[in-house]
Amino acid sequence: MSVSRRKFLAWMGGAGLSTAFGTKAYAASNKQFKGYPDTMGVLHDTTLCVGCRSCEDACNKVNNLPQPEKPFKELSVLDKTRRTDSKTFTVVNKYDNSKEPKNPVFRKIQCNHCLEPACASACFVNAFKKTKEGAVVYDASVCVGCRYCMVACPFNIPAYEYDKVLDPKVVKCTMCHPRLLEGKLPGCVEACPVEALTFGKREDLLKIARERIRKYPEKYVNHIYGENEMGGTSWLYLTGVAPEEIGMREDLGITPAPNLTSGALAVVPMVAGLWPVFLTGAYAISKRKEKIAAEEQAEAVSKAVAETNTAAEEKLAKALEKAAKEKEAAIQKEVKKALEEAAAKAQEEDKEEDA
Amino acid sequence: MVKGKMKFRWVGILIIIFLISTYCIGAQVFAKLSKDESKSRADVITIDTLKVFGYLEKPEVTFLHDVHTDALEKQGKDCLACHLPKSNSIPGVFKEAVAGIDPLSPKFKRLEDTARKEVMDIYHKFCIDCHNDMGAQKLETGPVTCGECHKESKTVSSRQPAGMDKNLHFRHSKAREKKCEQCHHEFNEEKKELVYVKEKEGSCRYCHLENPKEIPVYAKDSAQISKLSMKEASHLDCISCHRKTIAKEMDAGPVKCSGCHDAEMQAKFKKAETIERMERKQPDVVLVSTGDKLPDDGRLGNVRMNAVAYNHKSHEESNDTCRVCHHASLDKCSKCHTLSGSKDGDYVKLEKAFHQIGTDKSCLGCHELNQQDPKCSGCHVFMEKGRKQADESCLKCHENLTPDMMNLVKSGDNTALAEKMMKARSTASETYPDDDIPEKVVIKDMMDKYQAAELPHRKIVNTLMKNISDNKMAGYFHRDKGTICQGCHHNSPVSTKPPKCSSCHGKPFDENELLRPGLMGAYHQQCMTCHKEMKLEKPAGCTGCHKEK
Repeated sequence: MSVSRRKFLAWMGGAGLSTAFGTKAYAASNKQFKGYPDTMGVLHDTTLCVGCRSCEDACNKVNNLPQPEKPFKELSVLDKTRRTDSKTFTVVNKYDNSKEPKNPVFRKIQCNHCLEPACASACFVNAFKKTKEGAVVYDASVCVGCRYCMVACPFNIPAYEYDKVLDPKVVKCTMCHPRLLEGKLPGCVEACPVEALTFGKREDLLKIARERIRKYPEKYVNHIYGENEMGGTSWLYLTGVAPEEIGMREDLGITPAPNLTSGALAVVPMVAGLWPVFLTGAYAISKRKEKIAAEEQAEAVSKAVAETNTAAEEKLAKALEKAAKEKEAAIQKEVKKALEEAAAKAQEEDKEEDA
Repeated sequence: MVKGKMKFRWVGILIIIFLISTYCIGAQVFAKLSKDESKSRADVITIDTLKVFGYLEKPEVTFLHDVHTDALEKQGKDCLACHLPKSNSIPGVFKEAVAGIDPLSPKFKRLEDTARKEVMDIYHKFCIDCHNDMGAQKLETGPVTCGECHKESKTVSSRQPAGMDKNLHFRHSKAREKKCEQCHHEFNEEKKELVYVKEKEGSCRYCHLENPKEIPVYAKDSAQISKLSMKEASHLDCISCHRKTIAKEMDAGPVKCSGCHDAEMQAKFKKAETIERMERKQPDVVLVSTGDKLPDDGRLGNVRMNAVAYNHKSHEESNDTCRVCHHASLDKCSKCHTLSGSKDGDYVKLEKAFHQIGTDKSCLGCHELNQQDPKCSGCHVFMEKGRKQADESCLKCHENLTPDMMNLVKSGDNTALAEKMMKARSTASETYPDDDIPEKVVIKDMMDKYQAAELPHRKIVNTLMKNISDNKMAGYFHRDKGTICQGCHHNSPVSTKPPKCSSCHGKPFDENELLRPGLMGAYHQQCMTCHKEMKLEKPAGCTGCHKEK
């Protein structure tokens, strides 16, 4: 097969382009999970909230939670900023109003029931589930108590029953899911005397919110909080001041939590699958290294021993030779000495004979 | 060795003495100044003059002008100690009128910003020399080292804009025996001089702009736009005249910053008991029309919309300046704002010039702003901004004409027509007689938790009526008996027997009526929002309306 230069370059160019644009095409796709059709939600109009705490009271009752220290009619509680805990699924906080200093702003806090919940994506036993009604519900029977959900939640909502020794659970607002299934309103919504909370289909709530902003542009910030935050939430908020001023994070972006973590989490199964192979390979390699090293060592030892032996033998032979030579020399010396002595004796004997 | 130790000890002691003495002297001198520093003042001037030459080497200087004026006054010195006389370069009537006043340059010890080094030297030389002189005379003085002036200051400027309202204008014209030419002038292009033209007086700001470098498009070709900003012109002329008057030991206006720009001082300005109307041959009533004559095809009026009779005199009474409406000149609106828009009118069409909401320059816009008064906003806060006005509300201004008026239209006597229309108008608000207004409305919808809520219905109506009784504008627009009722009884035709709230508002969150609150929401939103808007403190809390069971 012959490939012309031109064709080859074209192929290479094509391959380069496809790698360059592949990811972009994915990012620009208009596929985004916008929640189940007809999913429900609640619109909290903070400009209407009067901070009466009726919602907190109702939440406490419908969820059979323990009575707090101070009664719900006690409004001085609002002077301190509070958060949700294992015995409180919702709190109302009071904030200074930069527009009208005399009229503080009240904001109800509870689980926002994200369309794609961070808690659910962080949970490796699937204890959290987004229902088609809109509520994010929790299954205590599978929960292992790792509390990753609490770390994952950008709104600081899930709480843990630290005071329970045997069966602690993660707790948070359920959007009154059991009541929704019975056709009832969430407890807080039903109790709100000023309809600062509106319950309905999320799509309808967005329409209502947009209409309120259109009608009263001076009253509202032109933004529906929760429409896109973290990919959208089932609870929506209308505010008269910048959301940041009343403690709502504006740095969350519009990407759903699972999308943010999917890249990193997708590596997990791969790591889990490849780990044994890796370890076995590593083991085999290290084993082989050990074997070679042992062999080399043995060889070296024997070589050294042999060398030493020959050296010693040579030395011994030399010593023996030397000794033999010395012995011979000594013998010859002794012999010579004896011969000389004998000769001298003979001379004397000759002299004596002469004399 | 011992000698060396002693030397060090003495040097140390001397340094300590020097430091302590500098600190104490400094503390004494600035004791008063630093006390003032934490306050907010109207006379804060930030000296950052060198910025015009590029950059600042050191932090800008916060200069308290009135502190200096007071200190110089004590020594018998006046403005001339720091400001040089500036000759008026434009000849003409104004120069003669202000002759002998010597307007002073607002710049410190110079007339022009010549060069970086020169300007810097002027400040350093004169400021430090004067401070040193005063120090030598053992007088309270200011800083002489770099860091004492060039530092960040905590003093906040509370300077309020100053302007000439109707009251001040009247007091000036009275004091100056109606010699308008002493202040008002215009530029004669041919003679190249300032002239006074009687009955052509206008606001200073028409020609002396806030920023003469940013001339609006419609005024680009105007020879009248002055190089002097409003700030420069007013500080040159007003203060000079005040100084001259003070020199004559006559009652004069302020010369210090706080005199004009301090909110407290502004509140203390003498108010003339009766303010006479300005005399500029302005009309009492005007027939506001497009000025666009259509060919008379036999129909009466020969214009598309009925012209509006406008009460110029009463609008003068209820506004502080002419500028409120006549924002660029004292001509009639349609001169610049033509039917289809033009460059002179900044392409704002005549219709918009009258009807635009969200500005204080149009009729409707200004009327809407008036509705923010707590007396009005209880009802008006619920009304959608930018809504399409109901047809009957157009007729409030574009009135239907009676046969008598029609005859005047034919004759073309606009003034007579406007006067006739004005006479036919009533500005007295009216509602139904007490007998037709229920005294109490009992709301029993929260009887499970509380006692029934009693709404003092008639008292509310009477209070609302009383609130607008002395307001001519409100009176005019609430002439019809049922208008006041519509604040609460909205969305249904005017009637003495309007539908009950529960006729429309019921179960909340109706999918078919997304925007309609439920009954409890409707009650609470309406009552509580209105009470909040009207700044009513009672009833407070849930039990203010719903008594405990």
